[in-house]
Amino acid sequence: MIHVQHLTKTYEDLQRGRFVAVDGISFSVQKGEIFGLLGPNGAGKTTVLRILSTVLEPTEGIATVAGYDVVRDSAEVRRHIGFVSNNTAIYDRMTAWEMVEYFGRLHGMKSTTLKKRLEDLFDQLRMNDFRDVPGGKMSTGMKQKVSIARAMIHDPPVLVFDEATLGLDVLVARNLLGVIRSLREAGKCLIFSTHIMSEVERLCDRIAIMYCGKILDSGTLEELRDRHREDDFEELFFGLLSQHEQEMRVGGRIGHASAANHGVGEQLV
Amino acid sequence: MSDSSRAIRRQAELAGKPRASAVWLIYMREMRDQLRDRRTLFTIAVLPIMLYPLVGMLLLQIAQFTRQNPTSVCVIGTENIEGAPPLFEGETFAPELIEQPDSLELLTYRWDELSADRPVRDKANEWVKTGAFDLVVLIPPAFKDNELMGDLVGTDSKSTSAEENRDSDIELLFNVGSDQSVVARQRVAGVLASWRGEWIKERLSGVGIDAEMLLPFEWSDTDIAPERTREAAFWSKLLPFIMLVWAMTGAFYPAVDLVAGEKERGTLETLLCSPALRSEIVWGKLGAVASFSMLTALLNAGSMLLTSSLVFQHMGVGGAGAALGSPPLVPMLWLFVALVPLSCLFSALALAVAAMAQSSKEGQYYLMPLMMVTLPLVMLPMLPGTTLNIGTSLIPVSGMFLLVRALVEGQYGTALFYVPMVATVTGTCLWLAARWARRQFEDEAVLFGGGEQWELGMWVRHLWRDRQIAATPAQAYACGAIVLVTLFFARLTISEMPKDFAGIAKLVMMPQVLIVFPALIMATMLTTSVRQSLRLRMPHWTTLPLAVLFGITLHPSYVMLSKMINHVYPVSEQAAAAMKPFAEQIASAPWAAVVLLMALVPAVCEELAFRGFIFGGLVREKGKLRAVVLTAVMFGISHGVLQQSIAASVMGVALGWITLRTGSILPCILIHFTNNALSVSLGRIADSGWSGATVFLSQTELGPSYQPFWTLISMGIAVTCLLYFGTVSPATDESESELVGSHHDYVDPTASLASA
Repeated sequence: MIHVQHLTKTYEDLQRGRFVAVDGISFSVQKGEIFGLLGPNGAGKTTVLRILSTVLEPTEGIATVAGYDVVRDSAEVRRHIGFVSNNTAIYDRMTAWEMVEYFGRLHGMKSTTLKKRLEDLFDQLRMNDFRDVPGGKMSTGMKQKVSIARAMIHDPPVLVFDEATLGLDVLVARNLLGVIRSLREAGKCLIFSTHIMSEVERLCDRIAIMYCGKILDSGTLEELRDRHREDDFEELFFGLLSQHEQEMRVGGRIGHASAANHGVGEQLV
Repeated sequence: MSDSSRAIRRQAELAGKPRASAVWLIYMREMRDQLRDRRTLFTIAVLPIMLYPLVGMLLLQIAQFTRQNPTSVCVIGTENIEGAPPLFEGETFAPELIEQPDSLELLTYRWDELSADRPVRDKANEWVKTGAFDLVVLIPPAFKDNELMGDLVGTDSKSTSAEENRDSDIELLFNVGSDQSVVARQRVAGVLASWRGEWIKERLSGVGIDAEMLLPFEWSDTDIAPERTREAAFWSKLLPFIMLVWAMTGAFYPAVDLVAGEKERGTLETLLCSPALRSEIVWGKLGAVASFSMLTALLNAGSMLLTSSLVFQHMGVGGAGAALGSPPLVPMLWLFVALVPLSCLFSALALAVAAMAQSSKEGQYYLMPLMMVTLPLVMLPMLPGTTLNIGTSLIPVSGMFLLVRALVEGQYGTALFYVPMVATVTGTCLWLAARWARRQFEDEAVLFGGGEQWELGMWVRHLWRDRQIAATPAQAYACGAIVLVTLFFARLTISEMPKDFAGIAKLVMMPQVLIVFPALIMATMLTTSVRQSLRLRMPHWTTLPLAVLFGITLHPSYVMLSKMINHVYPVSEQAAAAMKPFAEQIASAPWAAVVLLMALVPAVCEELAFRGFIFGGLVREKGKLRAVVLTAVMFGISHGVLQQSIAASVMGVALGWITLRTGSILPCILIHFTNNALSVSLGRIADSGWSGATVFLSQTELGPSYQPFWTLISMGIAVTCLLYFGTVSPATDESESELVGSHHDYVDPTASLASA
């Protein structure tokens, strides 16, 4: 469902000049699979997912979603993807119902199907008690639910969750993970990015560890454990990161990259 | 980018045409969102509806207050005018001497009443200074010596001695710092003049002359302007101004909220990853912003019209003949004609500008610069003497404003004549602004960039470290601005025309140096390749001889254009006289020196700067049109004199198109050189006695001019050349060069799948 090949994204940046946010990564995700993108802040996860949702254009490389190229057929890609991110907020002056309905209509859904789908979603996500609450008055958890409903309204085959549990309390986060699991049961293709290792361990079928715009390693949890002979996932993760830093230092190209990501450990939970 | 992938992309673009239903959906949401915002509602609806009645009420109060305070005048020395024709009647001036005597409050004193403790003049001075009276009229005791009948024989030495006369003159003490005092002085001076007239009449009749004899004729004023024009004169200036300022403000705040505000709140990204196309988002938002702009303008103008007509009615000001009548309501409906396109224009501009801001707060900072650019266009028609003509009708916004004024005043014939020009200009501006707004929404650097700390040192390092092969658009803009600003100040330093050729050489060289210098410096410092950034590339060899041919054959048309411009905007005699020694010096100087100075130097310097560095920067990031138009405008402005600027702008478009097609400035240098060289040598060619000269040139009293048949033929050849330039393949295609290397060159294995 998702194929990414040699994907690269560079930015012009006042401080660092041309800055490579994503550096030639490749991966693919199948139907009924949860793919975990794990990495510290600034690793380039959000950039990758923004490219997949066609909000950004890649500098080099190819990405296809449900068979459509993210550059050429960006409108088709957006029709087949649901994107939830902590950057995709909801409107303050719209109620939960209006908000989800608006995006349903943007997807060109007919009003009868839309109504039915809305009722189902509001039941499924248990959102009926704040149907008519405007976005400005919602709690973080409510907002996140509206965002998920917004992304799921057109029943897309591909769903992307970018740091979706950020700022949620344990209860709501747990609910969210439940929803994601049920989506896998429904045969959806899911990408889940986070910097929280426990979530990846519990949820993801396959994992890619990202750092400084590169995928350091990917595979199922077992594969990774076998390959690096390390049972503790946290140790495994830190091992990979420090190994990469060492390689960079040897290559003499450490420069700004580490400066931007200093204190990796403090950012991880 | 390969041709095949470009074709696929074109196809995708065609498939991605905005759908009306999606635009409408987005429009409705934005409208509802704004209407739910208390701040928006307050500024667009509550404020105008409340503001004008409140101001009107205040005005009425002030008016009542001022009416209770009529101008106060004190006349001292009434005993000194006994025996003269009557100045007073009862408590006021005699009615035959003054209109509306009630509006002056008059107090009279005898001279001896006041002269007791200190000089009368000091006391009067103080009264005026402290404002006890607006005006004091001093009739000194010596005034008595002015006998009514005077010295009729004319031997009286008093009347010839000015020194003595001064003691007997009436003195008016007033304070120029107070408007009321100045007005009082004028009115009382009028009264005294009429009074003096009475004296003269009596004196004349005393010697048996009929005063009527001295007035062989009278005249009367009749304002033939239709009543509507008279009423509209004031309002047709003020109301469009008020309306456009509100249209601008009304567009700006929603635009900031709908773009910068949504960026800040994160809802823009939500919308961007929905199936809505960028174009649909832009059109929907543009529609909402334009609606609010029109609504604000209408509510303000309407509320103001209504309040002011009520106020004027109540105050009883106006009536026939008054410049400030109550506003005519029905003709004001013509304002709609201007409101719709101009609201859309302001909205597109506001949207594009607001897209650059990362937050609402940052967006607010952009209001002032936007106002500074557009306000002069709204102010221009308010200047006295600005009327609708060919020139003004081509100025964006101003032309529309003047057109509507003509309509409001009922001059339909004039208005109709200028409709095509105004419509074309307004339409073009609207299209450009909408295009800019759409481009902003397609630019991810605009939507997601910025927000980082700016620091001078960091920026300088960035300029050096991230030098590119050619200038960036920002650097091109900066270069253009530097050139034009330095030229402006340099022109101020020129005080007089030089008398000799060396002085003229200096005068001509100075602007050229100022034009080329910034471009050369920036090309050296800010780019990695001076040659590439100045676009010094070798074009296809055929373009070079063709450029010379084009220069020669374009010259007759260029001369004709200059003549037409001079016909519409004649050069003032003063300017022509100032230029005369200049022309004479040029005519008598050695030909080679003149060609070097007037043709080669400008051709090289101006082309390096405008078609070289600036064009090279602006043409990037798909800026073909931008590069051609803006370099032509800058090139025009750099000429300083209006007539030359217009001709040069037209020439600049042709040169810009050619440099775009050939990818080099060499053809432009040749064309520019040929054109200028012909301009300065035409007289010499005609005088050379060469037999061929008479075939092309004819002598007129204004100097040599082209034969009409040659003008026609050359025009044909020039057009052919231009068509040929269109077919050559450029040295490089710069317009696609992105700041960041381009993607899309991979062959996508799934492409066939998707299209299947």
